[in-house]
Amino acid sequence: MVFYIARCAGQFAVALVGIVTVAFFLMRAIPGDPALYMLGDFATPEALATLRARLGLDLPVWQQYGIFLARALQGDLGMSVVTGEPALAEILASVPSSASLAVAGMAIAIAVGVPLGVIAAVRQGSVVDVAVMLIALLGISFPVFWVGITAILLLSHALGLFPALGATSEPGFWKGLHHLALPALVLGLSVAAYIARLTRSAMLEVLGQDHIRVARAMGVPEWRIVWKLALRNALVPVLAVIGVTFAWSLGNAILVEAVFSRPGLGSTILKAVLARDYQLLQAGVLVLAAAVVLLNTVLDLLYGAIDPRLRQQ
Amino acid sequence: MTTAIETIDAVAEAAARRRAAIRRYTRHPGFMIGAIGILLLVMVAVAAPWLAPHSPTRTDLMNTLARPSATFWLGTDQFGRCVASRLIHGAQVSLQVGFFVVLISLSAGTIIGAVAGYAGGWLERALVAVIDILLAFPSFLLALALVAARGNTLDSIILAVAIAYTPRVAAVMRSVVLTIRPRPFIEASRAIGLTPWTIVLRHVIPNALPPVIVVATVSAATAILAEAGLSFLGLGVQPPTPTWGNVIAEGQTAITTNPLISLSAGLCIAYTVVVLNLLGDGLRDTLDPQMRRNTGKLL
Repeated sequence: MVFYIARCAGQFAVALVGIVTVAFFLMRAIPGDPALYMLGDFATPEALATLRARLGLDLPVWQQYGIFLARALQGDLGMSVVTGEPALAEILASVPSSASLAVAGMAIAIAVGVPLGVIAAVRQGSVVDVAVMLIALLGISFPVFWVGITAILLLSHALGLFPALGATSEPGFWKGLHHLALPALVLGLSVAAYIARLTRSAMLEVLGQDHIRVARAMGVPEWRIVWKLALRNALVPVLAVIGVTFAWSLGNAILVEAVFSRPGLGSTILKAVLARDYQLLQAGVLVLAAAVVLLNTVLDLLYGAIDPRLRQQ
Repeated sequence: MTTAIETIDAVAEAAARRRAAIRRYTRHPGFMIGAIGILLLVMVAVAAPWLAPHSPTRTDLMNTLARPSATFWLGTDQFGRCVASRLIHGAQVSLQVGFFVVLISLSAGTIIGAVAGYAGGWLERALVAVIDILLAFPSFLLALALVAARGNTLDSIILAVAIAYTPRVAAVMRSVVLTIRPRPFIEASRAIGLTPWTIVLRHVIPNALPPVIVVATVSAATAILAEAGLSFLGLGVQPPTPTWGNVIAEGQTAITTNPLISLSAGLCIAYTVVVLNLLGDGLRDTLDPQMRRNTGKLL
């Protein structure tokens, strides 16, 4: 197990260098002069030269990359061009708000999606299965920002159950939770639809295997077969699904934050895009990708805990 | 030496097989609904200039936020533009994005995935590492960053979303190619001295395509959702050109006076995504029954 943990940590480090590399070249893929983009068409040549020197754009690319990588691994992602503050600090300041949205959303998604997928798989072909799959299909088909607008219209304006704004400056845990509830629900249900579909196919595969048939023949109660034997074996693919949907839900979270005017990574990134603050944008993209890599590493460790065979490979 | 009767038998058998294949498609309700649904949408998009009752961009400040009527089927927006006409024209943007994103990401992803899966060795390890790292970036975020960097013309949006989705196609392609590489006909091709490129292009890719086509159909749906999301954030094709995403965004500001604007645009997107998903599910069942065991539909 120690070796397994060390290997996961090693992969995490390699992936981190990888995403820093991609983020670097992503921003260098901008055609033309980034400094010109940032300052606009009416910039003076002196201002351009100063900014270029500050961003290190006058150095050869490989040297720029080396400096960027070394700094990034020390947590220095440059300065926001607009505010002059360190970009990473500005991004990290908006993480808690987004993290609470993502965690609450994922919790709702797992709590709704996994049981629905299991039930649909157990009752394959029944009315329940068809109904669950139909709802899941609709769930992945409506754009998440549209679901958000509709939820505001119905649950906030018409019924008055939730506030229309996804955040509040008033202190208090319950106040904050009340404002978080609707965005988290909207995000969670869209992800739940994916999780339900994929849990169903993972469960169907496990339920068709020989050891399940043997357990049935030996008279093991059906609930035990489904929720203990089958689900435990389907857990690794289900966790993999959660890993894949997490990256996807972070993308959706940007849209949900926009709909509910909720501060967070999404609004910071959008602000960076609109202000052409590429340093800030780059830091945001990096932090989100690092979050995905971190989650995948944690999941890898969990796979090892669930399935001893994976540890020994 | 084959006799005439044997030849006739073989021809008849081939025809019967073809008929059986066609029947597999026509008897699959999801596939038929999806195929007809998408065909209808393509027809609407192509015929938009004749179908739309009004110009999608003509404003009428005397007639803003009008209720639905015989002249304005879904009412008008805050600039007095006909919502129905905007939605009909909006289909063009969505379908173009879906089509070209799939075309680009399918071509690039297929080649990259096939080379990675077939080549093995350091080339495979390097390509897999790059694919894995790119998959860590939420694709919507990647598309957003690329659009931010390259500007929001239709071309650059298509390119951005296509780049964001290519790693997924490549990952699926590689996993399929890995199951094809050890098969006897590949070994046979190598034994008769075909070059690796010929083997990949003529034998590996055609045999690996069915699951990839399924992924491509579904990613057309996610591409359309991504474009709508970009439009909603104001980073898509710019108004006054109508897109479903920017109709929703503009409708949001008038949501309490005319909720129909945002609601109907959302339904257009959902309709398109549903029919594409049904088509994808249908193709999976008919093209490649084995695929049902695979990772599912998210990719």
